[in-house]
Amino acid sequence: MTLLPWRHTGKETSGRSSLFEDLALPLLPALYNVAYWLTRNATDAEDLVQETLLKSLRGFEGFEADSNFKAWIFRILRNTYLTSRSGLAARRTVALEEELDEGGKLGPGAYPEAAIDRETPELNLIRLADRATLQSAMEKLPPPLLEIVLLCDVEELKYKEIASILEVPIGTVMSRLARARAHLRKSLEGNTFTREFHA
Amino acid sequence: MSDHLSSATWNALVDGELIAEELASVTEHLHSCPGCTSHALEQSLLKTGTARAGQRYALPDDMRQRMEHLLAVQDSPSHVTEGSEAAIRPAVQRPASIRRTEWLGWAMAAMVLVLGAGLTFVRRNDSRVHAAGVERAALVTEVSDQHFATLAANLPPQVLSSDRHTVKPWFQGKIPFSFNLPEGLSEDTKLEGANLAYLHNRPVAQLLYSIGKHRVSVFVEEKTAGSGLGFPMEEHLGFRLVTFHTNELNVVAISDVAPGKLTELMNLFERAQVD
Repeated sequence: MTLLPWRHTGKETSGRSSLFEDLALPLLPALYNVAYWLTRNATDAEDLVQETLLKSLRGFEGFEADSNFKAWIFRILRNTYLTSRSGLAARRTVALEEELDEGGKLGPGAYPEAAIDRETPELNLIRLADRATLQSAMEKLPPPLLEIVLLCDVEELKYKEIASILEVPIGTVMSRLARARAHLRKSLEGNTFTREFHA
Repeated sequence: MSDHLSSATWNALVDGELIAEELASVTEHLHSCPGCTSHALEQSLLKTGTARAGQRYALPDDMRQRMEHLLAVQDSPSHVTEGSEAAIRPAVQRPASIRRTEWLGWAMAAMVLVLGAGLTFVRRNDSRVHAAGVERAALVTEVSDQHFATLAANLPPQVLSSDRHTVKPWFQGKIPFSFNLPEGLSEDTKLEGANLAYLHNRPVAQLLYSIGKHRVSVFVEEKTAGSGLGFPMEEHLGFRLVTFHTNELNVVAISDVAPGKLTELMNLFERAQVD
């Protein structure tokens, strides 16, 4: 029996939606975790994930089957976050030189030395093992550096995929990652970075 | 000592981004260098530590169900058929009174056609303006992002020098163009160094200045077809962007310093290009 055209289309749409659910629903925990880190708020995180899902479903027709769905949906999450209220607020609170200088720690041109080898490797290892200390260090990361740590270390995405999510060259991914890890080491070494990341 | 692995290599190593030859070479180096082995181990522990610490927020119990329901509602037949029914209803149930005034509908359709033709012309111009606006907004965002990242990272510039005769030659072979750095800067303005950066996926020079306690990034890029920066000054997230062009270069500066100070630096920069 030949299906009427509208029925045929309906079935295809339904199959496509089902495929979308199969791909998207397993990623919910990861999407929510990253959304919470970015928004710092359970309600905003949930709204962000919901909006991401709806946008992705609407745009799923344009998704190419042989491309990376995880990278694709994380890109939508990030773009949705950047245009959200909390995303815009976070971008405004990027640390400024004056804020760093308030405590008299740094002045223009007075850059810190490379952030390694300040203390014994043993002490660093002990600090790295402390989950709460690491979470606190991650909270202090500026948003562009936090998101790259989340995508690389937590979501285990490749540099190429991260570059496509952030819409930057791979070189920028590498340099931001190096900066992020230098920040983390510095925080773990006990340097007093007074900046706070406000949601 | 210069043979030690770079931090980029340590990162690529722990992130599994080294190709086979690079990995073999790095492994060989690690066998003979306790310092690099220690750093690589630390880097690896940092990565596993952040991976663990980053898994912080668990999905609320009922959220998965709610999202499944949301997707099901979006996919429900009512969503599809409502629109189609609405589309066919007027054709099936057309009242006689409408038939009598059918000519009115045709007249309106003709008017819409005439208006449409006029609007197409206007829209063609609008789309050009819109495209330029989008391009400008993208540039402003990218420049701001690079500047914020530089401020946030607080790492030394790739070339750390206040000497323009050191900074300018550093870019030889790194960017496909050259430029002049201004001299005679005001007393509170200082060249801090420079980075090789990327805008629109093309290499650009990012020159770092301080004016008092304010930091300034000046991006110099090669001018290409359609890459003109069409604004003299713009504000973005509390920062000001100032631009100028020469025949071969686009230059954009960003800072939160007073507008006059930023313009003064850019004027010196512009004069230096014609000297």
